[in-house]
Amino acid sequence: MDQTKTKGYKKIKQWLKANGRKPFKFQEDAWQNYLNGYSGLVNAPTGFGKTFSLFLAVTIEALNASEINNKKAKDRLQLIWITPLRSLAKDLARAMRETLTELELDWHVGVRNGDTSQAEKVQQKKSMPEILLITPESLHLLLAQKGSSTLFKNLKCIVADEWHELLGSKRGVLVELAISRIKGLQKVEKKQFLRVWGISATIGNIEEALDVLEPNLDAKRIIVKADLEKKILIKSVLPDDIDTLPWAGHLGLKLAYKLLPIIEKSKTTLIFINTRGQSEMWYQHLLNIEPELAGRIAIHHGSIDFELRNWIEDALHTGQLKAVIATSSLDLGVDFKPVDTVVQVGSPKGVARFLQRAGRSGHSPHEVSKIYFLPTHALELVEAAAIKEAAKTNNIESREPFIMVFDTLVQYLVTLAIGDGFDDKIIYEEIKNTNAFKLILPEEWTWVMQFITSGGDSLSAYNEFKKVTKDEDGLWKVKSRQLAMRHRLHIGTIVSDAMLKVKFLSGGYIGMVEEYFVTRLKAGDNFRLAGRVLEFIHVKDMTVIVRVSKQHNAISPSWNGGRLPLSSNLGAVLRKKYNEALDKTHQDEELDCVYPLFLLQEKRSHVPRNDELLIELINNKEGFHLFAYPFEGRLVHEVLAALVAYRLSKLLPISFSIAMNDYGFELLSEIEIPMDESIAYEVFSPKNLTKDITLSINSTEMARRKFRDIACISGLVFQGYPGKYVANKHLQSSAGLFFNVFSDYDKHNLLLRQAYDEVFYQQLEEPRLAAALERIQNSIVVITNPKSFTPLSFPIKVDSLRENMSSEELEQRIARMKAESEKIK
Amino acid sequence: MNLHFLYGKFNIFKLMTITCHGDELILDKERALYLPQHQLLAISDLHLGKSAHFRSAGVQVPATIAQNDLQRLSLLIEKYKPKTLLINGDMFHHGLNTDIDEFSEWRNQYLQLQFLLVKGNHDRLANADYASMQIDIHEPSYCLGPFCFIHDAPKCTEEELYPISGHIHPGVTIVGKAKQRLKFPCFYFGKEYAVLPAFSTFTGLYNIYPKTNDQIFAITPNNVIKV
Repeated sequence: MDQTKTKGYKKIKQWLKANGRKPFKFQEDAWQNYLNGYSGLVNAPTGFGKTFSLFLAVTIEALNASEINNKKAKDRLQLIWITPLRSLAKDLARAMRETLTELELDWHVGVRNGDTSQAEKVQQKKSMPEILLITPESLHLLLAQKGSSTLFKNLKCIVADEWHELLGSKRGVLVELAISRIKGLQKVEKKQFLRVWGISATIGNIEEALDVLEPNLDAKRIIVKADLEKKILIKSVLPDDIDTLPWAGHLGLKLAYKLLPIIEKSKTTLIFINTRGQSEMWYQHLLNIEPELAGRIAIHHGSIDFELRNWIEDALHTGQLKAVIATSSLDLGVDFKPVDTVVQVGSPKGVARFLQRAGRSGHSPHEVSKIYFLPTHALELVEAAAIKEAAKTNNIESREPFIMVFDTLVQYLVTLAIGDGFDDKIIYEEIKNTNAFKLILPEEWTWVMQFITSGGDSLSAYNEFKKVTKDEDGLWKVKSRQLAMRHRLHIGTIVSDAMLKVKFLSGGYIGMVEEYFVTRLKAGDNFRLAGRVLEFIHVKDMTVIVRVSKQHNAISPSWNGGRLPLSSNLGAVLRKKYNEALDKTHQDEELDCVYPLFLLQEKRSHVPRNDELLIELINNKEGFHLFAYPFEGRLVHEVLAALVAYRLSKLLPISFSIAMNDYGFELLSEIEIPMDESIAYEVFSPKNLTKDITLSINSTEMARRKFRDIACISGLVFQGYPGKYVANKHLQSSAGLFFNVFSDYDKHNLLLRQAYDEVFYQQLEEPRLAAALERIQNSIVVITNPKSFTPLSFPIKVDSLRENMSSEELEQRIARMKAESEKIK
Repeated sequence: MNLHFLYGKFNIFKLMTITCHGDELILDKERALYLPQHQLLAISDLHLGKSAHFRSAGVQVPATIAQNDLQRLSLLIEKYKPKTLLINGDMFHHGLNTDIDEFSEWRNQYLQLQFLLVKGNHDRLANADYASMQIDIHEPSYCLGPFCFIHDAPKCTEEELYPISGHIHPGVTIVGKAKQRLKFPCFYFGKEYAVLPAFSTFTGLYNIYPKTNDQIFAITPNNVIKV
């Protein structure tokens, strides 16, 4: 059908024209393909109306239909719009509502996520809106409701917004599973007009992104790519003198004063800081150095109360704020018109993230996005130069989809069981057609079913296990209301420490802090949250009660967010930049600035070129250090360090502790580490890689750490939610304990295997590791013996993430450690 | 403190013998304490029924944990042939369940053996239930020679005696040079009181930080070691 002849299309064109606008070609392409029954992916730069490419497609089809509305409450839902962030939904809903009013289409737009009030949810249950904006977690919560299976009869389209964000996480799997279920429900009703679309920024594996969303290769599928380019201006904030920048650090406050003129001359500035704790410190610091900013800047992160965040977002829209300090909470698609400048403090670790953040400024088409990079330590200047180059050449990372995540599958099945129940044969077929579980074996499925129905153990004569049971209608269901309630509180795959709400004594919520942080506070202690200094009074009913403090300075809570590793794309460009730094063959002002540091590195040791692997051996009172610099990112270094430690330990019994950062790693031992050129090629060899990795990570804690999330997602460990649920004391236990008992008593547990798999495939990134080792084999090994720490080694030294690796017998090792500690006394 | 230690030949038996307040004590790596003079085997924090309690609440704990704990206890009974088995509190985790049924059956193998329970905070079964399983109850403590067995040491009022407690599931972290760390369950013998390790393997560890003159015995996978 040619859409230009349809009345819906004509109406939309008219409406756009009346507003002085005209659709981009990719938007018209998307509308036409949608009308022709295609699923697909829209790929366009920020600010060019990706939302309208799909929202209007659904609208056109609705306007074309002669009978517009089906008034029966349950049949209303037409479009599910999945957004990764809660903050996105509000603005999208507003834009959609405005459009629908102007088009005189009598549709309702509903928002459903963690911030939606209970009353509104009940209202939605009675009468679904035509368009539902929802997070992946809330979509699963919807599936967990009785009667939910009848809601999707007339659903025409599911859109996964910011799909590139969801793709590389278990939340993406939640989306895949929900889509598979909704498709399955429509199949029963013999109404299969559902189209699934994604909206994605440019990523390295965009074809694969489509495969995950619509795994049926025979379906009508298409990628609609906009032929448009977004102009981005990148500038580094340089110190006047390189000595003012520390060799290591994450904060970067020393250069804060340089931001003041930038903030002053911009309309509104977004300042991105990598962690929530640091953003609190930045907020305080900016106010300290420029008191004039009081009342004109704000702080926005995920632990700040919903109302407060709302207020900040509104103030951003209206241009009341001069600057907002933000974390990834403002990364995604919200369009704040007044924002014309973005500042990135510290390394963004990846090109895609940096460009995404840059796109927060100059949001309208053809406007230039302006971003400043503010380094927190000297070597980050090299990263700045690398990012500029990668951005110029469009060298953007891939997002690897998750597969075979049994924790998420276990959670999903229980979700269905507390909703309308499920038929295991049907669901097995459905999940086999998802990208995440297309490789699942029948015996694995049997294990998963056994895990939720008999507790993973069918042999025991005494089986008290109660969770999912078969109902009279032949469907698997959860009967216990208590179990159902507990499960609902734990739907989702984002695991954080238990959080407590923070509230003023006089009333009013400020935000949330992690429980362990609170346990360290005494009455009268001060801490910072949402930019205020608060005095801790006490904890009552899972709520932290505070009053405004008279103090000006206080500690900031540290929220345990994951630290992102450097991407391999950026790593490669970075190595090249190291090449250029000393011989001055470049045009980067950042490299000029950092030049004195490179001279010092060259004087004390050596500056590695991109065809070299630098190894530094340093001996001091702490022990014998080996530093190596492959520039492959923290995660790869973690494995590489364990691998090298293991291979060295085959040469002689030796124990190491390991530290790493994005540039390299350190092995620290109390005895001299054997190392020369031939040993280096041997221990950095790709030969027997898989076997040696298995042996080297065997004795580490990696899998145990991964298991923490797995235990929460699969419902083994209850986190409890702020103010909502007090865990039953007799049911408390830790993920670590489960890891131990499964290792001892249930070796075939698939969740245990998943922990090791996650270590292997995500953490190890074996292909990336193998490629790195191949590269090193073709490199020149340079070994130096510096007298003291070098500009390269110092930041690793400062880093505290440590692993242990040992080939000694445990008893022997303890004896030695004991002997040492006695010596110290 | 009059503690002294015998090393050497005992190591092959995976245990350590110490003298404490004039009595000989054997620390077994299966998280048990044996008093040869009294032919008494003491364990603490057995938490029987914990795995079944979790399972009945829909948490997939391996069902074999409780059986395994009882097997370990059987081996200890065969090894020391004690007259008395003392459980120093938290014998049963919650209410009656299938794990407890299994225990009852298991208990019938040892009708000659006296079972003593010093009640802990988890032990809330009815007196008749204990009686039906032939377990003698002592509350709040059981005194023997120079020792006072009590679940939670600070509650001990027997000032003349040395309290031996449980309750906290003690663990110790051994820190070596080059920032190496290892964590084990342990026996604690301090100036004021002693703490036994939790017997059940389905228990977490509470880190204790020894003061000077405190004696800590770490239980490694193969041995008991003084640290």
